[in-house]
Amino acid sequence: MTKLSRISSRRSGWLLIFTLLGLLVGLPKQASAHPMPNSVVLLNVHANRIDAELQIPLVELQSAWGHAVNDSSAGLVARLGPQLRAYLKTHIRPQSPDGRFWNVTVGELTVHESQNPINGVYRELTAQVQMLPPADEDARTFTFHYDVVLHQVMTHKILVSVRQDWERGQLAETEPVQVGEISLDIVNNRILPLSVNLTSGHAGPGSYWTGFTAMIKLGMQHIAEGTDHLLFLLVLLLPATLLVAGQRWGRFGGIQYSLKRLLAIITAFTAGHSITLLAGSLGWVRLPSQPVEMLIAVSILVSAVHAVRPIFPGREAWIAAGFGLIHGLAFSSTLANLQLDAGPMALSILGFNVGIELMQLFIIVLTIPWLMLLSRTQVYSVFRLTAAFLAAVAASAWVIERITGQPNRLTQGIEFVSPYAPYGLGVLAVMALLFTWRLTRASQLPVH
Amino acid sequence: MKRKNWTSFLLILLGFSALFGSCTSTDVDATSTTGSTTGSTGTTSNSSSSITTTLSATATTTTCGSTGVAQIVCLAEAFKATLSSTQVSTVQLTYSKANAQKWSNLPAGMSSRVGINLGALSDTQLLAFRNLMVAVLALNGMNEGYDEMLGNLVADDYLNSIGGGSTYGAGNYYLSFLGTPSTSSLWAILFTGHHYTQPITFNAGAVTGVTPAFRGTEPQAAVTAGSRTYQAFEQERVAFAALLTGLSTTEQSTAKLSGSYNDLVLGPGQDGKFPATKSGLQVGTLSSDKQALVLAAIRLYVNDLDASTSAAVLTKYTSELANTYVAYSGTTAMASQGDYVRIDGPSVWIEFSYQGGVIIKNTPHSHSVWRDHTADYGGN
Repeated sequence: MTKLSRISSRRSGWLLIFTLLGLLVGLPKQASAHPMPNSVVLLNVHANRIDAELQIPLVELQSAWGHAVNDSSAGLVARLGPQLRAYLKTHIRPQSPDGRFWNVTVGELTVHESQNPINGVYRELTAQVQMLPPADEDARTFTFHYDVVLHQVMTHKILVSVRQDWERGQLAETEPVQVGEISLDIVNNRILPLSVNLTSGHAGPGSYWTGFTAMIKLGMQHIAEGTDHLLFLLVLLLPATLLVAGQRWGRFGGIQYSLKRLLAIITAFTAGHSITLLAGSLGWVRLPSQPVEMLIAVSILVSAVHAVRPIFPGREAWIAAGFGLIHGLAFSSTLANLQLDAGPMALSILGFNVGIELMQLFIIVLTIPWLMLLSRTQVYSVFRLTAAFLAAVAASAWVIERITGQPNRLTQGIEFVSPYAPYGLGVLAVMALLFTWRLTRASQLPVH
Repeated sequence: MKRKNWTSFLLILLGFSALFGSCTSTDVDATSTTGSTTGSTGTTSNSSSSITTTLSATATTTTCGSTGVAQIVCLAEAFKATLSSTQVSTVQLTYSKANAQKWSNLPAGMSSRVGINLGALSDTQLLAFRNLMVAVLALNGMNEGYDEMLGNLVADDYLNSIGGGSTYGAGNYYLSFLGTPSTSSLWAILFTGHHYTQPITFNAGAVTGVTPAFRGTEPQAAVTAGSRTYQAFEQERVAFAALLTGLSTTEQSTAKLSGSYNDLVLGPGQDGKFPATKSGLQVGTLSSDKQALVLAAIRLYVNDLDASTSAAVLTKYTSELANTYVAYSGTTAMASQGDYVRIDGPSVWIEFSYQGGVIIKNTPHSHSVWRDHTADYGGN
């Protein structure tokens, strides 16, 4: 449960529910044996190369390699780095269909603790490996001769999965797709290489267009699942239809006034987050996610206060732009994690931003008409204050969660409630229609 | 007045945020171990649950006077008679390969089983279960037969008691009848839990298969329950060590496998994958006293079953002994992690793997599977 709780509460309750379902339903079925921890090979497929991440349990590596890598794992990379790289290189040999072997480079090595429900906590070596096919060969079809550990430990298993394949629309955000398993052929007592063909299957051969549309989808998904981003936007728009009267929010400012202000706020927010999205994903700016996530929660809190009393009247657009800069940083970490080449990266930034805008517009178009209708009625001040209060509570809960790194009951409650947000929209629409109808009827009553 | 509203709003906000302090998560890591054992002959710890206490009762009264399969059918029916109709529908399933293959060496919480769990049974029901099991397993052997099964449950209770979690313990062992017990048709008893699986397949009034059977235990060390000390799977480990260390240096090098084995090769889910070529040392080339050591190891598996069933199986395995092979990896002492031994005959297949601790870290524990080339799942 602790591991689950650490998932950023930015994700909607759906994600949590699916993860829970996956754990409850998926795990017991997968696990039929009491396996020693497996090796995992995660492939990041690029246009002309594959970056692989290997995860090798040290207890198994020790059985295979002889060196006491598990018994004394401290300072392992410093002590045995070159030998480890040489060992890995000998046992990783992708081969093109014409028989030529690829060029394999072993990069960063790290040792860390891993955990699964079956084996408990164990130590693992993670190796970054670059696999480069001959210049005229493509990186999507190859015979994967891979027998790290397995060349010696007959009970070892290697699960090979694609973690990212941008051109086929698969991003590291989703679960890796398993390509196959390399293990001993028990009957014939031999280890066969894995035949990898990443051009077949339902995703097709892949293209820049597929990658681009996948990024649009990812952008849309980020907003749809980003309860906090959405809340920020909605709370900021809450008083946008109103005139300022002294220190307080006044009456409805008219359709033209409202639209102009809405447009200004949305545009400013977009401009803000586009700048940091670009800067962040190109690696120019890199901030740790914790303060960024905390500032996002603060931005909601500030907007909520503003919705109660105008604390920055007339400067909403600037504030929106400023907070946009912060939200963009959060988006950019998603993109930076993809580690794409320049061409796909440019398309990804564009696609991701387009997705964000489309989803924002969608939400705004769904919400604003009702807000405008309702803000003409007497009940709007009650509605506005209630909504602002609830948003402030949520924001405070997030601030605390993101400072302490621990979820609290309120943020867990938000996770649970947020999937029902569309119903809230329905309630808003009914309220708006009902009170508008009463308002219209009242004005039509005979005066005398 | 308006100023006041503003302030009270902020106060409410503050009040809410103050609430969080007391609401923060207080998850406690339940997997921390509070006890430990060292070595395979080391510490003993008391670990009886009400289930194992009931199952270790000696007095049995049954009305099933018949013998053989007829008696087992009678005892199975007597057990079912103690159950509620809902419980009967849980335990009585149809015979299918899919159901028969629902065994594992994982705790039941990590790999689901079929049937009814011991934790769901009352004392009366547990005693009826005991009557059935002592009829299909050998009784009165120390750490063999029914006693070995009981010791296995005790060991799992121990894992539960030292913080292994709720998936461990005697309550998580499952009994099912696949097909209706009868002296004429195909059916099976499947008793399966974490480190113990014993299927018995019947057809037309005869036992047609007693494998794949899984044995193992964590801790390998002795565990005490009530007034008894169990070490369910130690004799097997010792028998393999005696077999391997009894070989000459030349024989040992013939028997030694080139690869390493950290787990069983033909564990759960690996049905029917026997190697086409046998590895290691042919038993027929050995002196008769060394052949006897091989047979002694095999006997510790076969003789867990009731006398008439085990006699038939043992006769077959003995007649095939000359063409049976012994192979091992690691050391011949069967005392450290990575030690592995295999007996592969025309019919018999036994693997023993001494592997790393899961709940008790840095202390090896055993896994072992007994299969039959032709009679797994009764040949179905």
